[in-house]
Amino acid sequence: MATTEMTAALPLPAWNFWGETLRATVLLGKREIRTVLRTPAYLIPNLMVPIFFYFVMVGSLEEFATRSGIENWQAFQVPVGILFAVQSGSAGLNMVADIESGYFDKLLLTPANRLAILIGAMGADFFRIMLQGAIVLAVAVPAGLHFETGLPGMVAMILILSVWGLAFSAIGFAVALKTGNSQATQSIWTLFIPLMFLTTAFAPLEALSGWLKVAATLNPMTYVLKGMRSLSMQGWDTGALSEAILAVVVFGALTMTMAFLSMRGRVK
Amino acid sequence: MRAIQTERLRKEYSDEIIAVDGIDLQVEEGEMFAFLGPNGAGKTTTVRMLTTLLRPTSGRATVAGFDLLQDQHAIRRTIGVALQEAGLDPLSTGRELLQLQAQLCGLSTTDSKRRAQEMLELVGLTDASERNVKTYSGGMKRRLDLASALVHEPRILFLDEPTEGLDPASRQSVWQEVQRLNQRGMTVFLTTHYLEEADRLADRVAIIDHGYVVAEGTPAELKASVGSDVVTVHVGYGMVEPAKSLLSTLEGLRETRTNGSSLTLFVEDGTQAVAQVIRLLDGANVELGAVSVAQPSLDEVFLKATGSRLEGAAAATSEDNSDGNH
Repeated sequence: MATTEMTAALPLPAWNFWGETLRATVLLGKREIRTVLRTPAYLIPNLMVPIFFYFVMVGSLEEFATRSGIENWQAFQVPVGILFAVQSGSAGLNMVADIESGYFDKLLLTPANRLAILIGAMGADFFRIMLQGAIVLAVAVPAGLHFETGLPGMVAMILILSVWGLAFSAIGFAVALKTGNSQATQSIWTLFIPLMFLTTAFAPLEALSGWLKVAATLNPMTYVLKGMRSLSMQGWDTGALSEAILAVVVFGALTMTMAFLSMRGRVK
Repeated sequence: MRAIQTERLRKEYSDEIIAVDGIDLQVEEGEMFAFLGPNGAGKTTTVRMLTTLLRPTSGRATVAGFDLLQDQHAIRRTIGVALQEAGLDPLSTGRELLQLQAQLCGLSTTDSKRRAQEMLELVGLTDASERNVKTYSGGMKRRLDLASALVHEPRILFLDEPTEGLDPASRQSVWQEVQRLNQRGMTVFLTTHYLEEADRLADRVAIIDHGYVVAEGTPAELKASVGSDVVTVHVGYGMVEPAKSLLSTLEGLRETRTNGSSLTLFVEDGTQAVAQVIRLLDGANVELGAVSVAQPSLDEVFLKATGSRLEGAAAATSEDNSDGNH
């Protein structure tokens, strides 16, 4: 049977590519949110731990920091607390669960755009991340935080840091799609340690020295923190904010590319 | 029109691991086609390729007339698939799952709700429809999976081992349902390692072993191709080879296959042969166990084509569902 004529197809009804892709993205995002809400045990620690961390850092070091010349230690720490929050929770774990249960294949068997599966999941994750970030502010403000740029600055901070959180979660999605393994996906939180500690989270850049200063200068999070602290401590500083946004965009472009490549690798 | 057509379809995972080795298949529209073979033969890999989940290494195929490599989107709109492991979201309710599946296939929200309800009734899950899938039993999950494969009214239904792990009653009900769908014009491509399933359900059967299609035809044609009655003789330990040479003079003998401590003789006239077999073996003091004569089954077709029995192979590897994960 060398060159058999292949059968011609019957026509199918029209398919609105962009309309259906958008619809699938929203539907899959809604399912993702439903999944999170049906497993509150997964959400609650992610909300509690960053608040705990923020108050411990403020309570234990405020006195010491003030004596070292940092006037508004709470405003210095609040971006760190929010960063902690937006990076908490292993993104991609629901996707691994779908891969392990075989449901992911079921989704791939539908005509829905494959990217809608990833973007829907990430979109839903963005809401989780924003909620986790906002709750730190919601607790810190009544506890005495003075935020220099007020409510508009807080909104800007939550948005920028949530995009950072999403960029961080993209690593989780990349690993989830690449390995289909929950332990590997869960382990990405360890990346959080160098990002969080080799930076200016606990002291200004000038106070760091030697290799730590070099590492902090290379860490994109240093620039994010600088921009966020300009909002909480100084006032609207276009230069510092631009640097922060650039750092988020570069980091995000890198991690999103990883996630999309992993998606492509999996569906081949 | 051909519902499925493949040409030298091949999947290799590495130089050593060739799951599907260049198979040619034709499935006509409206046909119930069974892909029969032991676990690990390449059935699941073939299904995963034909349903766009896995990219073939080489070869061509069309599904519903759409090219497998060029027009995967159109194929996904045309097919319904229930894979070996029911792929379900444990945190959705049955109704939510069916509705989402219909919506992702392009049905309007109203139509999706209607179809979800129809499917729940069809598979008898209306009472459980508002419960999370994680509370369902194995049989219920299988039924829901079947419903989700049907919710968008596909033209071609792929079923990978649809009754694996089901109790006999559930198996019967799946068979009835699949037959009903096929009678309404749906093309069904099912894989199985159960001979009875292929024999009972399928219009045509292709037998696959080690990545090759070794025989193809209607169950009747395949059995007729054995061309003879089948005499099975069990002999004592170490007696298979001597018995084989003794029986080589048997009148009307076409072929002999050995398997463990038994010989399978393909003969023109079974009843006549039995008397001769007993005489020959008894005369030579060969320890004789059970002797039986039968019309050929698909197992004999498999035995003749591959040299081993499917039933034995299936039993030996029934714990290992790694087909397709080489």
